[in-house]
Amino acid sequence: MTSESAQTVIEASGIVKRFGGAVAVDGVSLSVAEGEIHAVVGENGAGKSTLMRILAGILTPDAGTVSVGGTTLEGGAKSAIDAGIALVHQELSLVPEMTVAENIMLGSPPTALGFTKSKELKRIAAAALDEIGVRVDLDEPIARLSVSLRQFVEIARAVARSPRVLILDEPTATLTPAETDYLLRMLQRLAAKGMAIIYISHRIPEVFSICTDVTILRDGQLVETTPISETTPSAVIDAMVGRELKLDLEVTRESHPGEVVLSATGIRAVGVHDVDLTVRAGEIVGLGGLVGAGRTELVRAIVGADPRTAGHVTMTVDGTTTTIGGYQSAVKAGIGYVPEERRTDGLALTMTVSDNVALPNRRALSTAGVLAFGAITKFVRNLADVVGLRPPEIQREVGQYSGGNQQKVVIAKWLGRKPKLIILDEPTRGVDVGAKAEIHRLVRELADEGAAVLVVSSDLPELLELSDVIHVVRDGRIQGTLPRAEADEKTVMSLASGETMVSA
Amino acid sequence: MATKESLTEAIAVAGSPASGGIEKKKFSPLLWIAENGVIVFTVALILFAVIFVNGFASLPNITDVFYRAAPIGIVAVGMTFVVISANYLDLSVVAQVATSAVIFIGISNLYGLLAGFLVATLVAMLYGIVNGVAVGFFKANAVIVTLSTTFIGLGILRWLSGGSIFFGPEDGPIRAFGQASLGPIPASALLLIVITIVLWFVLNRTTFGFAVRAYGSNKQATRLAGVNTTLVVIGAFVITSLAAMIGGFALAAFSNTAVSSMSDGYEFRALAAIIIGGTSVFGGKGSVLRTLLGVVFVSVLTNILVLSGIGFGFQQMAIGALIVVAVSVDALARRAAKK
Repeated sequence: MTSESAQTVIEASGIVKRFGGAVAVDGVSLSVAEGEIHAVVGENGAGKSTLMRILAGILTPDAGTVSVGGTTLEGGAKSAIDAGIALVHQELSLVPEMTVAENIMLGSPPTALGFTKSKELKRIAAAALDEIGVRVDLDEPIARLSVSLRQFVEIARAVARSPRVLILDEPTATLTPAETDYLLRMLQRLAAKGMAIIYISHRIPEVFSICTDVTILRDGQLVETTPISETTPSAVIDAMVGRELKLDLEVTRESHPGEVVLSATGIRAVGVHDVDLTVRAGEIVGLGGLVGAGRTELVRAIVGADPRTAGHVTMTVDGTTTTIGGYQSAVKAGIGYVPEERRTDGLALTMTVSDNVALPNRRALSTAGVLAFGAITKFVRNLADVVGLRPPEIQREVGQYSGGNQQKVVIAKWLGRKPKLIILDEPTRGVDVGAKAEIHRLVRELADEGAAVLVVSSDLPELLELSDVIHVVRDGRIQGTLPRAEADEKTVMSLASGETMVSA
Repeated sequence: MATKESLTEAIAVAGSPASGGIEKKKFSPLLWIAENGVIVFTVALILFAVIFVNGFASLPNITDVFYRAAPIGIVAVGMTFVVISANYLDLSVVAQVATSAVIFIGISNLYGLLAGFLVATLVAMLYGIVNGVAVGFFKANAVIVTLSTTFIGLGILRWLSGGSIFFGPEDGPIRAFGQASLGPIPASALLLIVITIVLWFVLNRTTFGFAVRAYGSNKQATRLAGVNTTLVVIGAFVITSLAAMIGGFALAAFSNTAVSSMSDGYEFRALAAIIIGGTSVFGGKGSVLRTLLGVVFVSVLTNILVLSGIGFGFQQMAIGALIVVAVSVDALARRAAKK
């Protein structure tokens, strides 16, 4: 579909974006021509979404420029919109209470004397829906539509502006296979009319079915840009993963799995479809997959942090089996849960390290409901030492510590209860290298001491380094199970992205 | 992703002081004022009153300040639990205080003080549980819930009492309590001090109080630490209601009378004392001792206005304005502290 004569519409050069100390996008250039469907792929955290938000003017780059039709943009979302760039967000950004027509025209409704011209509004909205060939009642509130229909309304909103560049960030994440097919054909039609399309997806087969070119990012850097006709799915996955990052498996531990501790069967919840899972004493089970695959939803449903719609969970400790219903029963049964969002779910940031660690242990640290402060101090000091809190000032507010130290505090909360099962969701996200190694050491030690461990991680080397067995989750289901000996980055990525060259 | 080093190397890196990071908290004058300003302001206000306000520094006037501060203070220290649990406030204390006063005088007249006390306690428990279940279990908005239970409570009280004034007997135990004092300090003020100490202990030294503070600081994290947060919220409302019940007793004892309108404005004065005391409406931060200081501030200020011959309307305006200033400083200070 690409031809040498096609006009370049959007060109980004030398884009750099830092968040604090971390470089999210590091000198990336990208150019897309009329009628081109350009895929941008990479692992979680490779910098894809950040780059797109820079193109759409939502983020300001620290270096580099974006130009459309040869004119450099001044920056800011408005100048990007005026230049004809439309971004379909990864998270749905519709207003549930407003109608389909109002949502499509949100932000740029036709007005006269400050009043919305509702006929005009409906006409443009209907035209946009027509353009993408989706039939839906214009007066229906968004809240009454299915998640996939909302995704199409979101696209209609972008198309309504008649953009020159249409950016879609993971548009198929919430769609069924049939809907995905429809979307892909629709994008080809739009491209044929001359629109430049930038398509972000984790799903390699989709990329190969419609895209003309592919840009691969890794750790914020550009790996390569090639025409689709000159590459293969396998080569793209290799480039995303980066062969040189292969870990030395010698450092991993000997595992001696014991009895089954956690048994979950038929788990269903929002984003989770009929999952069975067991974890044995002394075993580290990894849950791999892409962001949004349903891993966090799965573990939250298992521990009862969010409601399950179906399924049964039991914990077996010293021969006694208990059923896990609500979250408090999970904690009582000896489960420790280190949530994905430590700042909102894991810690009371305005309280001290001591308070945070003591909270789940308060019963053991009190007599007849009265807190024993001497015991608390001793208890927390000891745990701060075990997890390597630096500096070990337990009366300091937790919010003043770095991310790595905060994560150690969350782990310390549960270590004190001597958990029979510890579940860690993205245990080292936003954590420096040193703290990461220490957290890995703690996780291994816990398993060596006989605890069952369940780790969710989007960080492939970490998952491979820690896990005795890896379940790969996609679309809320376990798509494949890989014993450590058979797992490598490529097999995990293939299962996670739906590239089915590996048999599950 | 960037773990190219071996594990031992990585741990060696971790051992260096560079990776042990804490951000030193910058001193924020605004936050200091929000949290500790009440001490300075209260001392300044008392000094001002002693020097410039005629009749302030006399024994009868000081005793009068104590008398008026005691009921409102008891309500305020109790309500501090609801505010610290990040549930804004319990507006229904206005209905609870009047209900308790009417029960103490009315029921005691018929069946004796013990019966009055038992009925008042039962009603207080009911208030606390209804408010607490609606807010803690059904997750309804505390302001709307307690505004509604105020309506319900005052409605029932006016319906049953017919709006009449109840008088206690001159030789009854309630009258005796109202007139008892230790030097210039009335018994009701001593009761306030005892309740403050008890509630300080509950908030700062028990697992329940710990859970209330943690819940106010971060509801989700507290739930995910395994705390039964529904019980925590119900507990905070029950404590507030029991305090309001005792506040109603102190108020009834002051005049030996009770009427459904006698506690008008109490919810607001209690809130003023709590917020001016420096307990944050965002929850998690605060103490009953601060509230006690806030009560002193509000009571002295009201007394100064009365002594200066300034009418009730102006007093009301002054308290309203104080709350607006105090919550704005609090919000501004929290935001500045986050940066």
